Amino acid sequence: MKRLMTRENAIRWAPLLVLIGLMILFTAINPAFLSQRNFARIAIAAAPALMVAIGVTFIIVMGSIDLSMEGTVGLTAVLFCFVFLATGGTLAAGAWVAVPVILLAGALIGLVNGLVHVKLRIPSFMASLAIGFVGTGAAVLITGGDIVKIDDDTFRALLTWRIAGFPLMVYVVIVMALIAWFIQSHTTLGRNFYAVGGGEELAHASGLNVRRVRILGFVLAGVFYAVAGILQVAKLGQAESVSGANFMFISITSVVVGGVALWGGIGGIWNTVVGVLIVNVINNGMVVIGLPDYLQDGMLGLLVIVAVVLSTDRRSISFVK
Amino acid sequence: MSTFIKDFIERETINRRNFLLASAAGLTSATMPGVFGGGMARAATEPALAWSYRDRASAYWNAIVSGGEAFTESIGKPKDAMTSLINEGSSEKSLADIKAFLAKNNGACAIACDPNDSPNARPVAEAVQAAGGYVSTIWNKTDDAHPWDFGDNWVSHMTWSDEKPAEETARILFEAMGGKGGVVHLGGIAANNPAIERLNGLKNALKDYPDITLLDAQPADWDTTKAAELMASFLTKYGDQITGVHCANDNIAYGVMEALKAEGIEGMPIVAYDGNPEAVQMVMDGKLLATVFTNPHWGGGITLSLAYHAAIGTFKPSEEPHEHREFYGPTILVTAKDAADFKAKYLDNVPTYDWTDFWGPSNGGIVYK
Repeated sequence: MKRLMTRENAIRWAPLLVLIGLMILFTAINPAFLSQRNFARIAIAAAPALMVAIGVTFIIVMGSIDLSMEGTVGLTAVLFCFVFLATGGTLAAGAWVAVPVILLAGALIGLVNGLVHVKLRIPSFMASLAIGFVGTGAAVLITGGDIVKIDDDTFRALLTWRIAGFPLMVYVVIVMALIAWFIQSHTTLGRNFYAVGGGEELAHASGLNVRRVRILGFVLAGVFYAVAGILQVAKLGQAESVSGANFMFISITSVVVGGVALWGGIGGIWNTVVGVLIVNVINNGMVVIGLPDYLQDGMLGLLVIVAVVLSTDRRSISFVK
Repeated sequence: MSTFIKDFIERETINRRNFLLASAAGLTSATMPGVFGGGMARAATEPALAWSYRDRASAYWNAIVSGGEAFTESIGKPKDAMTSLINEGSSEKSLADIKAFLAKNNGACAIACDPNDSPNARPVAEAVQAAGGYVSTIWNKTDDAHPWDFGDNWVSHMTWSDEKPAEETARILFEAMGGKGGVVHLGGIAANNPAIERLNGLKNALKDYPDITLLDAQPADWDTTKAAELMASFLTKYGDQITGVHCANDNIAYGVMEALKAEGIEGMPIVAYDGNPEAVQMVMDGKLLATVFTNPHWGGGITLSLAYHAAIGTFKPSEEPHEHREFYGPTILVTAKDAADFKAKYLDNVPTYDWTDFWGPSNGGIVYK
């Protein structure tokens, strides 16, 4: 019989234990935390962030980084509103067309991102940051700095229509997470991400077209950012050029807190899901337990460090840069 | 004074100075050619125009820019004669852009500027003074820095006192709550002056309503997404105790409304601040009780106009009283009963302002506590 408490097992389950620990802590201080309604609130806050975090997980697993999410989410959210309004302004009138159009737009932005990174041989950090700025700039240009609103009740059902107490958008996110897991675990592309992240030279020498895998990774991330853009509109009923603000910090923190290693090859979708939940539980919990606002940022930083320490297998690498 | 006389004086002033400058330029170029470049002569007659501000991604700054452009067109120039210096929230960039603009135009500049944060106002004014340009600022300056300490070059500073209007919105909110219950405040970035003043306004109003408790006040950083998440957390913590919401700006109110919509909560009394078009529409629709308009279009135009007219010599800043060099901008409370009129007057048709009526709509000299 295998030992249950192996080191591997401890590391695998650490993020989940951190999450449960936090929930117990917050509930002990304020029992109101542990209620279905509050979980629904956390889920709504986490939904778009999870889509962004899953997108960037594919890139981080490859050992690259993608910082284009704020620009991409902002631009796709704004474009979604424009296409939605131009095609009738209600789902019933045919505005559903906006959904595939925007997913395609997200893929396109990701493609450009990947091509700039791979073909021009610019580090992913710089290439994606630049593409993000271009995205925000384009969103400002399109909106002229104004807010675009969507009032269609059918579309807003993503937020207002609840099944078992959770809004529809939460189920959309669950389905998307399952799709991401399927790509990661049951497709060649998913396994290739790990091959590239685990050792790029080795993958290349084994005949893998590393550049193609990288570009496809960015395309995939772009699609998930587009989903986040659409959910952001569903959540707030509006889009503006800054709709993607803060997603960079939230998503990368969540990915790392969940136990995905920034140097690539380690972790996956479920780590990210738990990581996003940890960060959102912390954000919600700090208000619910009544932590003074001037302590919240510091506490978030502290908890993130603790979570990373507990959930990353640092013994397998010789040094951290 | 009739406009005829005013125009006449203005024309004569310009003519006389042109004559003086022309003769001066003529004399010097005869004796020391090249020392006095063309730039100096342009310095007084045709200053280059610029607006230095945070970003184009908000309705507020867009309105500021539209005012600056309206002024630029009013003096017979194309809109793009006004250069936008966008600092992206960086004081360093704000100062560097202004220095570059001064250098490019030999100091012959009329600049309107929000220095981004208070300590940056002084270096901006020093740079402009050293180059011989003219600058008018809004919002940010430290209490010890005054335009009159910089001769004519720091023309004026305008800010808005938000405490009183925020108190008025709070009173409207409390009346709608029936004078009892619990209120939460979602604020701006904690260290921002307007955020502090708007919360103080709420606290002032609370003194007259003993049956209303301030349940919580936390920063939502002027951000819609953050406001929605903070409001959701407040709902977990306080639940039905919350019977009114005081928001530091319109963007925060949009987030609050969406958080309430997600819960199916309707009819919660909410007040906001800024008077953005969407918020005014919400006041008309009864979704929002009140917002406060600070007329950024006028602010954007008049700030540039002050710098420009000081630069061409229409008035000499150092001869103006202190309340003409440091003053409060206008604030207009928008509530359900006047929202439609307000929208028709200020938003549907942007009024044509007299950009030489520098201090008419302002709200008196700045008072330091």
